[in-house]
Amino acid sequence: MRGFRREWGLAVVLGLFLAYLAVRAPGFFQGRQLLALATATAPVLVAAVGVSLVIICRQIDISAGSQFALCSVVLGMAAQRGVGAVGPVGVAVGVGALTGAVYGGLVAGVGLPSIVVTLATMVTWREALRWWREGEFVRDLPERFQWFGLEQTSGQWMVVILGLVVLVTGWVYATYFSGGRFIYAVGSDPEAARLAGIRPRRVTFWVFVAMGGMVGLAAFLNAVRFTDVDPKTGTGLEMQAIAAAVVGGVAVAGGRGNLLWVFVGVILLASIGPALVFLKLPPQWERAIQGGIILLAVASDRLVRGRAGVRERRER
Amino acid sequence: MKARTTTVGGGGSSWLRIETVLVVMLVVLLVVFGRYGRNFWTAENFFEVIRLTVEIGLIAMVMTPVVLSGGIDLSVGSLLGLCGVVFGKLWRDVGMTPLAAAAGAIGVGALGGCLNGLLITRLRLPPLIVTLGSYSLFRGLAEAMTGGVDNFTGFPRDFLFLGQGYWFGFLPAQVPIFLGVSMGVWVLVHRTTMGRALRVIGYGREGAIYAGLPVDRHFLVLYTLAGLVVGCSSMIYVAHVGQAKADAGTGYELLAVTAVVLGGTSIFGGRGSVQGTFLGLMVLAVLKNGMTLSDLPSELVGIVTGLLLLTVLTGEVLMKRIGKVGREGEG
Repeated sequence: MRGFRREWGLAVVLGLFLAYLAVRAPGFFQGRQLLALATATAPVLVAAVGVSLVIICRQIDISAGSQFALCSVVLGMAAQRGVGAVGPVGVAVGVGALTGAVYGGLVAGVGLPSIVVTLATMVTWREALRWWREGEFVRDLPERFQWFGLEQTSGQWMVVILGLVVLVTGWVYATYFSGGRFIYAVGSDPEAARLAGIRPRRVTFWVFVAMGGMVGLAAFLNAVRFTDVDPKTGTGLEMQAIAAAVVGGVAVAGGRGNLLWVFVGVILLASIGPALVFLKLPPQWERAIQGGIILLAVASDRLVRGRAGVRERRER
Repeated sequence: MKARTTTVGGGGSSWLRIETVLVVMLVVLLVVFGRYGRNFWTAENFFEVIRLTVEIGLIAMVMTPVVLSGGIDLSVGSLLGLCGVVFGKLWRDVGMTPLAAAAGAIGVGALGGCLNGLLITRLRLPPLIVTLGSYSLFRGLAEAMTGGVDNFTGFPRDFLFLGQGYWFGFLPAQVPIFLGVSMGVWVLVHRTTMGRALRVIGYGREGAIYAGLPVDRHFLVLYTLAGLVVGCSSMIYVAHVGQAKADAGTGYELLAVTAVVLGGTSIFGGRGSVQGTFLGLMVLAVLKNGMTLSDLPSELVGIVTGLLLLTVLTGEVLMKRIGKVGREGEG
């Protein structure tokens, strides 16, 4: 496939980065620390998969962080009431899918631009949570909620495995199933997709629902790591997810992107913070370096592809 | 995915323009809060509302032509924080006079905006992505420069006047600046060839290129200008709050975009006005102030703002559908 060179460049960058770490700070590769990092990153990965699908469908979601917080709090309240071990997952995914359905309805049904819809809901969810909880944590979660009632290490493995399952499922669906290909078709050209017999509005709606569900699941995978739920959780998650998608080569114009490369993007962006600590560099550089990587990634994309004759799909 | 219906330059011909809706909304808000708010309807409060709006207002003003040209700038809030930190560094650690330090900080703002512009034009990248990257980059640099904890206070009196003082005992010092910049942006958007060109670019970039418009040059100037205004806004912010911290201006980009979109500028570009943004800004400001004075919880402001944005836009879309306008593509 033409145009996958830049993604290989990303793999090389990640490889060099990890090799450098292996030489300068082998402590980074201790099993426990890697597992902890992977556990903390799994929720971001799941959210990034959902957001990537939305971007591939030529839409965007900048409210993932607020959705995540909403799902987390409702999930915590449900767990408090004790709805079994499976109940909280259902609640989180359900709330997420419901918010996704609201977006889908407004975007695909009414025809509002997704960036405006999610801009509005981002503020609305966040402030509604503040009003409702007044900053109070959801405490006293049942014993068997944390780490699924397992031991910490097995619980951590469980979180990582679930994250990977979502990634692989999403990738297989998007790559090999007709429903997944429809997402690419709609993102690439909605009108052409319609003429080919696809219903773009229906596809868009369900992509948003799926994204919401995944954000809910991400909230669940995050919540099991703690004994309480912070209503301010997930701040900045939307930017992390979008950044991972962009670094992983998902085109904001829609229609192009591979979830496996998004995975590489997630790993790269997530390793920077801990790597700085292990390299004994000032950790407050994390954000600046991440921003630099995003800009470099998109810039190299364009440089590799060449500038001449690129068709302009300027829509966001 | 969108219905482009209006002509270039026109804001819809019916009387039910977004500006009318906003004026009605503003009047309703003024009456309601005048009835229920304590001390709402006083001259002091009037100037207080404006004073609190200036930082966001400056950014929203300059965001209008950006959105009008089909772009967006998500980095403005971060850049505001960075400019403030640069100002603090130059003044306290380098030992510059406040005036020189402010000039330096505003220069950094223009430089940051120029970086956005260069990436957008040289590499033909979407503004959303470029400014998403610089959103992290600028905030990250501000955090790195302060170590995440350092903040700058104790600025001299005549600098603080910019954010806390009054002209003639009643006019907040920053208001003339705001009015000046607003007028400048209005002239730029509605009375210059550049403004017209930006509108055309927002309406259809390909067409603008084929029509021979210097798209890249306009973009470069525009984003640099945005950075410059953010720098000014940052100075007012620092003088107003009395300190410069790395996390200043968090979320400003979204508030500014909200004001712009509420004011009737299409997020896809090509349609919109500066006076619309001004009205959108006023609605947001009055809502916030009135709710505070009516002892309503502050969280409601955010909720109502979000719902207002959705309602206004949905109403606009539905009105357009009812009004016999053919839908393009899939709608």
